[in-house]
Amino acid sequence: MENLKNNPLVKKIGLNRLLLIGVLIVMYVAFAIISPTFLSYSRILSLLNYVYFLGFLSLGVTFVIATGGIDFSIGPVMFCCALISGYCLTSYGFPMIAAMLISILVGCLFGCFNGYLVAYWSVPPFIVSMASMNIAKGLASVFTKTQSVSWPQASAEGGWYRSLVKIGNVPVGLFIFLAAAIICAIILNKTKIGRYILSLGSNKEAVRLSGVNVKKWEMLAYVICGILVGIGAIFFVAAYTTVQPGYGDQYNNEAIAGCVMGGTSMAGGLASISGTVIGVFIIALLQEGILALGLNKNYQLIITGIIVIAAVYFDVLGRRRKN
Amino acid sequence: MGEIILTMKGIDKSFPGVHALDHVDLEVRKGEVLALMGENGAGKSTLMKVLTGIYTKDSGTITYEGREVEFHNTKEAQDAGIVIVHQELNMLSHLTVAQNIFIGREFKKGFRIDDKKMNQEAAKLFKRLNIDIDPTEMMGNLTVGKQQMCEIAKAISHEAKIIIFDEPSAALTETEIEELFKIIRDLRDQNLGIVYISHRMDEIKVITDRVTVMRDGTYVGTLITKECTKNDIINMMVGRVIYEDPKTHSMVPKGAPVVLKVENLNAGKMVQNVSFELHKGEILGFSGLMGAGRTETARAIFGADPKQSGDIYINGKKVTINNPQDAVKNGIGYLSEDRKRYGIVVQKTVAENTTMASLENFCNGVFIDKKKEEKIAQEYVDSLATKTPSVDQLVVNLSGGNQQKVVIAKWLTRNCDILIFDEPTRGIDVGAKNEIYKLMNKLAAEGKAIIMISSEMTEILRMSDRIVIMCEGKITGEIDIAEATQESIMNLATREIG
Amino acid sequence: MTNQTAASTAKKKSSLDKLGGQKFLVLIVIIALYLFFFAMSPNFRKYTTLVSILDYSYYIALMAIGVTFPLITGGVDLSIGTGVICYSLVGGYLITHQGFPVWAGMLVTVLFGIAIGTLNGVLVAIMEIPPFLVTLCTCMITRGLGSIIVGGFGISWPTAIQPGGWFRNIFKITLTNEAGQRTLIPIGILWVILLVIIMSFVLNHTRVGRYTIAIGSNKEAARLSGVNVKLYHILAYVISGFFAGLAAISYSAVFTTVQPGTGAGFELEAIGGAIIGGVSASGGVGTVTGSLLGVFVICLLKTGLPFIGLQANWQQIITGLVLISAVLIDVIKKRREVK
Repeated sequence: MENLKNNPLVKKIGLNRLLLIGVLIVMYVAFAIISPTFLSYSRILSLLNYVYFLGFLSLGVTFVIATGGIDFSIGPVMFCCALISGYCLTSYGFPMIAAMLISILVGCLFGCFNGYLVAYWSVPPFIVSMASMNIAKGLASVFTKTQSVSWPQASAEGGWYRSLVKIGNVPVGLFIFLAAAIICAIILNKTKIGRYILSLGSNKEAVRLSGVNVKKWEMLAYVICGILVGIGAIFFVAAYTTVQPGYGDQYNNEAIAGCVMGGTSMAGGLASISGTVIGVFIIALLQEGILALGLNKNYQLIITGIIVIAAVYFDVLGRRRKN
Repeated sequence: MGEIILTMKGIDKSFPGVHALDHVDLEVRKGEVLALMGENGAGKSTLMKVLTGIYTKDSGTITYEGREVEFHNTKEAQDAGIVIVHQELNMLSHLTVAQNIFIGREFKKGFRIDDKKMNQEAAKLFKRLNIDIDPTEMMGNLTVGKQQMCEIAKAISHEAKIIIFDEPSAALTETEIEELFKIIRDLRDQNLGIVYISHRMDEIKVITDRVTVMRDGTYVGTLITKECTKNDIINMMVGRVIYEDPKTHSMVPKGAPVVLKVENLNAGKMVQNVSFELHKGEILGFSGLMGAGRTETARAIFGADPKQSGDIYINGKKVTINNPQDAVKNGIGYLSEDRKRYGIVVQKTVAENTTMASLENFCNGVFIDKKKEEKIAQEYVDSLATKTPSVDQLVVNLSGGNQQKVVIAKWLTRNCDILIFDEPTRGIDVGAKNEIYKLMNKLAAEGKAIIMISSEMTEILRMSDRIVIMCEGKITGEIDIAEATQESIMNLATREIG
Repeated sequence: MTNQTAASTAKKKSSLDKLGGQKFLVLIVIIALYLFFFAMSPNFRKYTTLVSILDYSYYIALMAIGVTFPLITGGVDLSIGTGVICYSLVGGYLITHQGFPVWAGMLVTVLFGIAIGTLNGVLVAIMEIPPFLVTLCTCMITRGLGSIIVGGFGISWPTAIQPGGWFRNIFKITLTNEAGQRTLIPIGILWVILLVIIMSFVLNHTRVGRYTIAIGSNKEAARLSGVNVKLYHILAYVISGFFAGLAAISYSAVFTTVQPGTGAGFELEAIGGAIIGGVSASGGVGTVTGSLLGVFVICLLKTGLPFIGLQANWQQIITGLVLISAVLIDVIKKRREVK
C-alpha cells in the first residue's frame, strides 16, 4: 500500500481518484456480465445521455458545496428552466437560441436568489434550498398551466439543438461536457474566483478579515451553479425532449452524490472537478444498471440515498481522523 | 492548613509538536487556596484539563483522597468532587440560571422537572454565596461577571471538595473581583481545596496561601505566599533573559508624523469614546485586563465589527471604514488574537495564504499567476525565516510561530503601513516569540506603525514605545515607555471609573 | 438592590414578550387572513370550508409538532413529507392486502415512523452527518421504499362505511339529526390541541425538552455538564418520526387514497409553519404552540388561495416565499439585537 502511494503516477492522479476509476470499471464489468447489452454502443449512448445533464448539475453543486453550503433545489430548478424555456419555444414561438438563453437565464436567476439570501442575509442554505425547490416547482406549473412540454424532434424546425448530444453516432455531448468540466476546473483552481470560493469555504471569517468581499464571492458560487443548471436543462431536453412539471427532486441527490463521491467535502474548502466527473459517471452507470437489473426507479432513490450517506460519512471520518 | 487531598506526580502530556507538560507535580490541601501561576502557555490549563479528564495524560499518577484515580471525563471528576470554573464560560444562553446550574441532574417529580425546587435550591446557593441573581433569569441576559458567579454556584452545588478557578477574574470588574474573593475565602473556610489559576500578581498575594509556579510546561517550585515576595514569584515564572530586557526609552524619532488618528470611537459597551494617535515607526502597546475592550477597539477600527460613531484619520485624511475591505484599502492590516479562526486558512498553502489579502496583484485578469505568487511567498519565507518545507505546504502543518509569520507575510505582501498585532505571541513557544519580537522591531524601524495588544506585561514593557491602557471599554491612561512600570500600568488597568 | 431586581424582572418580562409577542402577531395574521378570505369569497364562509381547512391542517400540524424538536436542536428533518406517505402506504397495504386489523396497521404506521426517525437520529448524532443531508437522503429512501412495498399503486384505507372504517371517526364524526341532516364535527382538532399541550409540557418541563434546547443552545456545554447529548439528540429525531407516523394516520383518515411518489413538499409546510411560529432556524429557540399557529397560517393560505382564483400551484410559490420571509424577519431581528 505504501509503495502504491509513493508511485509517481499514483501521486499525480491521486489515490482516491484511481480508486474511483477502479470502482467505475468494476461496476461496468459487473453490469456487462449481468446484462450484456451494456456492451452495446446504443446502451453506452443512453448512459451518456444521463451523464450530461446530471454532470452539469453536479459540476454546479460542486461550487456551492466548496463554499460549505448546499443547494438541493437544483433538480426542480433544472426542470423549471426546461419547462419555462420550452413553453416559450412551443407556445410563444421563440427561436431555439432564445429559448436556450432563457433556460440559462432562469437558472442564473435562481442562483442569484439562493446566493443572495445565503451570502447577504445569512439564511441557512438548507432553508433557501427548500424554499426555492418549491418555488421552482410552483413557478414551472403555473407558467405551463401544469402541462408537460415537449421540445421539438430532431427533424422538426429548431431540432438542431439535439445535435448538442449527438451527431449521427458521435457523442458530441461528451466532448461538450468534458470541455465544460475543464473550464470549471480552471475556474476552481486557476482563477481568483475559485481561490476565494475554496478559501471562504475553509474559513470564511479569516478571508473576510483579509479584506475580501466574501459575500460577493459566496453568492457567485450559487450563480455559477444556477448557470450550469440552466445548461444542464438544455442537455436534459436534448436527450429526452419531454419534461413534466412537479418533478426533478431525485436528481438533487444524484448530483450531490456524484459530487461528494468525487471527494468534495461537505465541510467546504475542498473540491475536485475531476472527482465530480468520475462520480457522475458512477452514479449514471448505477442508475442505468439498476434499471437493467429489472428494478424500477424507486430502487434508484434508495440506493442513491444510501450512497450519499456513505460518501459523506467517509468524509466525516476522514476529518475526524485528522483532528 | 489541612491534610493533602490531591497529589499529581510526574504528569506528562504531549500534543503533536508541543511537549505541553513535562513531568509536572502538584499538591492541593484542604482548606487552602493554592495559586497556580505561570505565563500564558506555561501549561496551567492543560494540567487542569488532565486532572478533570478532558485530556488523557501520557504518564504520571493522580492520587485523590488517598486513592489513585483517572477520570475519563468531566462528569466523573465532578462526581468525585473536583469541579472546574472555566475561563471560557460554558453556558446555555437559552435556558434560565437555575436550569443552567442543574443541567444534567435536574430535580424531578415523576416525569416532570421540578423547576420550582431548582429555583429554590439555586436561590439557596446564591444566598450562601451572598450574590444577588434571579434564578429564573435567562442566562443570556446576564453580564459576564454574573455568568461567572453562576458557574461558581454550579461548582459548589456539586458538593465539590476541590474547586479550580481558571483565570476567573479576567472578565470581572473590581467590585466583582472583591465579591469573588469573599466567596473564595468562605469556601476555604468550609475546608475545600481551591486551585486558583491566574497570572495577576496582586490577586495572588491577596487571596492565596501557597503558590505553585510552572514555566514552559515544567514544574518550577512551590512557595508559601506569606513568606515570599512578588519578585521571588516573578523570578520563578520568568527565569529567562528575554523578560529582563524592557525597553528603556522610545525608539520613535522626534516629530515622526501621525499615521493613524482615532477620535471618539464608539462601538457597543466595550468601546467608549476611544481616541488615540499612532506615529510612523512606533509600536503602540495596548494594555489592560482581558475584556477591557482592546480587541473590540481593534476590530472596530479595522471594520470587522460595526461601530456607532467616531472618526478615523489616516495620514491626516479622514477615511470611512465600514468593513475590512475599506480598512485593507487604507493600508491597515490586522493580526487576530485567534489565528486559527481569524488569521489563516489552515487548509490552504503558505503561498495561498500569503497572497490572500492582495490576490488582485497576482492575477492576469481572473487568472492567478502562480509563479509570481510562489515567488513572493518564497521571498517572505526567506526574509521572515519561516520554517516550512516549501511554500506549497498546507499551513495546518506549521507550528504556531510559523503560522503567525505567514499572517505577517500576508499583510506585508499587501504593503500595509499600519499593522494591528492582537496578542501576537499567544500560544507560541519562547524561541519563536523572540523571533516575532525581532521582526516587529525591524518593521517599526522600517517605518511601519504598529499597534500591539498584549495581556503579557513583560511583552508590553519590552516592545512598546508608548502604552495606552484600557479598562472597561475606555482609555484610562497613556504612558511613555520611559515612565512605565508594571505597577503604574496595572493601576490604570484596574482603575475604578467614577 | 431592589432596583436591580426590578430591572432584571423587567428584562425577563421583555424577553418573554418577545416569544409571546411573535405568537400574538401570528394569531393576528391568522385572523386577518381568515377575515380576508371570508370577505373575498362567499364559498369560503361555508361551514364545510372550515371543516376542510381543519382536515388539511391535521397532518401538517402533527408533522410540525414533531419537527419542532429537531429544529430546536439546530437540525432539520426533511424526511417527514415523503415519510408520511410511505408510512401511510405501508400501514394501508397491510390492512387492505394482508388482512391486518386496522389497529395493527396503525401501529405499524407509527412504528415505521419511529424507525426512520431513529435512523435519522443515529446518522446525525452518532455518525455526525449534517442533518439536512441525512434527512434529504431518507426523504428519497422513504419515497422509494413506500412505492416498492405497495408495488407502485395507490392505497385506500377502509372508508367510513367499510369494516374497520371506525378510525376515520377519530378525526371527524358525522352527526345526523332527526330531519336527516348531517353535520360534520371536526374532532381531530381536539386531538391536535391535546398533543400540542402534551408536547409543550415535554418541551418545557421534562429532561427530553430541556436537553433538546440545551443541544441547540450549546451542545458542547451540555456535554460537559454530563448530559448524554447523543441520546437526546437521537430522541429529537425519534419524536419527529413518531409524529410523522401520527400524521400518516391522520392523512389516511382524511383522504381517500394515498398515492406513492407524493409527499415531497409537505415538509416545507410543516417546517415553514414551525419557523413562522417562532422556531429559530439556528436552534435553541421555539415553542410547540407557536409551531401550531404557524401551521394554521400556511393552511389558511393553502386552502384560501383557490377561493380567490389562484390555482393550487401558486400556493407552493407563496409558501416558499412566506418561509423565506419568516427566516428573514428572524435574521433582521437578531442583527438589530446585536447592534
